[in-house]
Amino acid sequence: MQSRVWKSGDPFIWLAAGALGTALLMIGGLFWLIITRALGVFWPAELVLLELRTGERFLGHIGAVEASPDPENSKTLVRRIQVQVANRDLSSADFVWIDEDQIASRTRPTDAIVVERQEWGNLFGWLVAVTEDGEPIAQGSEQSWQVLQQMLPQVAAQRGRIRRLEQRQLGDINYRMEQTRLEMKRYELRGDDAGALQGVRERLTRLQAEYEQVYARLEAMKREAQRTVAVFQTASGQEKSVPLVQVVRAYWPNQMSTWQKVRLYCAKFWEFVSGEPRESNTEGGVFPAIFGTVLMVLIMSCAVVPFGVLAALYLREYARQGPAVRLVRIAVNNLAGVPSIVFGVFGLGFFIYSVGGSIDSWLFAERLPTPTFGTGGILWASLTLALLTVPVVIVATEEALAAVPREHREGSLALGATKYETIRNVVLPSALPGVFTGLILAMARGAGEVAPLMITGVVKLAPSLPLDHHWPYLHLDRKFMHLGFHIYDVGFQSPNVEAAKPMVYATTLLLVSIVVFLNLTAIFLRARIRKRLHAGAF
Amino acid sequence: MKVGNPGATLSFPVSDRVVRERVSEEGLTQALASRGELPDAILSVRNLSLSYDGQHWALQDISLDIPRHRVTAFIGPSGCGKSTLLRCFNRLNDLIDGVQIRGMINLDGMNIYDPRLAVTSLRKRVGMVFQRSNPFPKSIYDNVAYGPRLSGSRNRRELDEIVERGLRAAALWDEVKDRLDDNALSLSGGQQQRLCIARALAVEPEVLLMDEPCSALDPIATAKIEALIHELKGRYTIVVVTHNMQQAARVSDYTAFLYLGRLVEYGATDKIFTNPDQKETEDYITGRFG
Amino acid sequence: MPQRAHTDPHFDEELRKLHEKLLEMGGLIENQIATALDALVQRDDSLARLTIEQDHAVNRLDVEIDDMCLRLLARYQPAARDLRLITTALKITTDMERIGDMAVNMCERALELNQEPPLKPFIDIPRMVDIALGMLRESLNAFVREDVELALKVCRDDDQIDALTHQVFRELLSYMMEDPHSITRGIRLMFVAKYIERIADHATNIGEMVVFMVKGKSIRHLDRIPPSV
Repeated sequence: MQSRVWKSGDPFIWLAAGALGTALLMIGGLFWLIITRALGVFWPAELVLLELRTGERFLGHIGAVEASPDPENSKTLVRRIQVQVANRDLSSADFVWIDEDQIASRTRPTDAIVVERQEWGNLFGWLVAVTEDGEPIAQGSEQSWQVLQQMLPQVAAQRGRIRRLEQRQLGDINYRMEQTRLEMKRYELRGDDAGALQGVRERLTRLQAEYEQVYARLEAMKREAQRTVAVFQTASGQEKSVPLVQVVRAYWPNQMSTWQKVRLYCAKFWEFVSGEPRESNTEGGVFPAIFGTVLMVLIMSCAVVPFGVLAALYLREYARQGPAVRLVRIAVNNLAGVPSIVFGVFGLGFFIYSVGGSIDSWLFAERLPTPTFGTGGILWASLTLALLTVPVVIVATEEALAAVPREHREGSLALGATKYETIRNVVLPSALPGVFTGLILAMARGAGEVAPLMITGVVKLAPSLPLDHHWPYLHLDRKFMHLGFHIYDVGFQSPNVEAAKPMVYATTLLLVSIVVFLNLTAIFLRARIRKRLHAGAF
Repeated sequence: MKVGNPGATLSFPVSDRVVRERVSEEGLTQALASRGELPDAILSVRNLSLSYDGQHWALQDISLDIPRHRVTAFIGPSGCGKSTLLRCFNRLNDLIDGVQIRGMINLDGMNIYDPRLAVTSLRKRVGMVFQRSNPFPKSIYDNVAYGPRLSGSRNRRELDEIVERGLRAAALWDEVKDRLDDNALSLSGGQQQRLCIARALAVEPEVLLMDEPCSALDPIATAKIEALIHELKGRYTIVVVTHNMQQAARVSDYTAFLYLGRLVEYGATDKIFTNPDQKETEDYITGRFG
Repeated sequence: MPQRAHTDPHFDEELRKLHEKLLEMGGLIENQIATALDALVQRDDSLARLTIEQDHAVNRLDVEIDDMCLRLLARYQPAARDLRLITTALKITTDMERIGDMAVNMCERALELNQEPPLKPFIDIPRMVDIALGMLRESLNAFVREDVELALKVCRDDDQIDALTHQVFRELLSYMMEDPHSITRGIRLMFVAKYIERIADHATNIGEMVVFMVKGKSIRHLDRIPPSV
């Protein structure tokens, strides 16, 4: 009886289905965790005012509830709630733990305000006044709120102007000065043409003067922006003046309608995706990291596909199949199992020190001892990842080449085509979906890899994007930001880990979405090619 | 179907003029063919042996002549070497690692295994159609134009002409002339095989090798291909490998029976299918094998 | 010559059935000829009528064998030896059917002759029947055993019948010249001799077809029978 049940295969089916189900459950759980945690980040939560029996007052978002043993009586448990109180500049911690039985009252004050600031994170409190040059122009919560609402757009514009001046104009002058300085150094290295050197020196002086001028204008604008100040009172009664230019956004979460909350949500999400990071990456946006990730994956793809396809072509089509080729194939497969940090170290040693160092001494001698390619950069990081993922592409391409029907090759050869013509016209087009499969797998692996990047060019905060308006537009030597590293950095290296937690989830979701998006693009392309290859009635 | 063996009557006094005429031409050919030789041969194979591994010989000491502008069929059970022999004619066996070939094949008096000969130019003279129709995953037009493009024809008007000629020769033009840009894989199986024939003809070969061209086709598509073979034999020399003995009997002028790598019998199809000389041939074609 | 079996045993079975039918038909016509001679010699009307009656069975077998051959051709597309066997069967069944007709004709003449007194004792005609019957039997044996030598012997034996026919003609001619009253009977007996000669011709045809069937070589329409093939 028992053996019949086994022979019928039903238990096996259940076993197989169970394995798949478990895998799906775990993946689903992971996604559920990421999505629920990440999507909640931008929702404006309510502010709760807690008054304790001791008379202390806390205003903040209620977080996790935890039960911990009573320090005096270990038999009983004490429920504690976590409250995010913000005001990092006033109190030492962002978060406080409060024993539940200490709480005397919980209220939701309608005029409690959340202020997102350029520095020091959020401020929770009440608006007291708005002053200009020390003179109050609005008093009281309501009136000040009106004034604040009116002024914030102007302030944002002002902030934009300051940033543009700082980054564009000042940056350009800086860049030109740097170029001129390098030019000067080149002349000095060559040691001839004193006249030209003199000209360059004069140009540098002119640039210097221009720089001073713009800098003065910037200073003036900054001073101007400091004039208007909003005054807040916190729950503990402290007063805090914040220059309006520091205020990114202010809202009364306890009296917002759902529609307003949705709008705020979208705005904050957009800021996250398109904005620059603030407060050592724990706030603001992650645009540079998105950009860096995508660009790195693209450069990696551009490097890994030709490289892997050519290698696979030789291995499958030209090499005489034998023990040597089998050995190479095993080696390639094993390469995929080497820890990624080893690739990072290799990239550091080979690409950065050897190749980069050589490039520097040949082409950028004038910049030394400051390295150009002799230090981590997006090119080296991409190439290191290309090396890491090339086995995947080789294996996938080889499989695809092997799957090209022999009839197609022979059909082409029988028409008088050479082997090269056959490969170019018949074999490669047929193998293209397989190449794309390899690329998809490579991208999925490459986009999520962090360890090798940390030593080949990723930084916590890159001063500029690798793509800008200065020739040659794409700066492969620049350091860049990466979402994976961002997660690691914000989640584990930031001074305020608790406050950064939402950011970690949001960034994770973003990274996963980007990987999914890149893969979907490749899958879509592959499907189109497949359709072309396999169209027909059969 | 003609019965009787005219060749054998040579030894008897002949009273009938009809018999005499029947004897004169075919009897001579028959006598030659029994030694594998035929007049006006385009391909002549002499003492050809082939081994894939250096130990077991897939072809053993084969000598035969393929007559010009005739259809020659190779028949024999699976693994008898008929496809291998066919693929010697355009040197497709060269692709296999470790293959050893001895003997000689002459194409119009030129040794095709001469190392000075470019194999691509040989393959342009000796076209091939395969068992499984294998159009490239390209448009119908690009399939037919594939060979001419390799030879350097780039001129669109010239290519148009070649494509039309090839498709007409393969009796496919009327069916596909309005959808030349469609994917070749959208054609039916029989059409795909005729497209492969058109593709081979577009290079204007002298010899057309067909390796079981109908084995994957339904009877109607098969009949179309067979009609096409009849049509083409005036201009091309056709060598066809087939499992289907009735097909060999229908389409070919000469038939070679191979067994275990040896050429057992070669002669006029009429003779092979009515009165073969060898017991092995007879047993095979009457279905007594195995 | 021992033959290997076909890969498809059904085909062998069908060919065996074809053989059986041909032999059955052969037995029938042999019997027909023998009884026809008896009817003639013993002047037995009822035996003659019985023999005529028997021809229906022969005709039925002829049609059956034709059908069977066509079916085999269509279904198995035979080649070489099998093809020759079936085409041979098609042709010899016609010959055998004609032999049956000849026996019937002999009986009809016998019925007519029985109306009148006997012309002369039968001497040469029974000998002719004997030889013709032997040829028929041998040609069928040659067919069954695929024996070329025997088939060739049948073809050669035809000369004896031809010689005897001439002898019978001459003898009957002399009777008729002596006595004009004997002309009717003489002509009828001449017909009988002619019928027997035809039977031998058909047997020769069967022999020739057997040679073709076995050897694939036609020995028809030649000046003389080859000593061997």
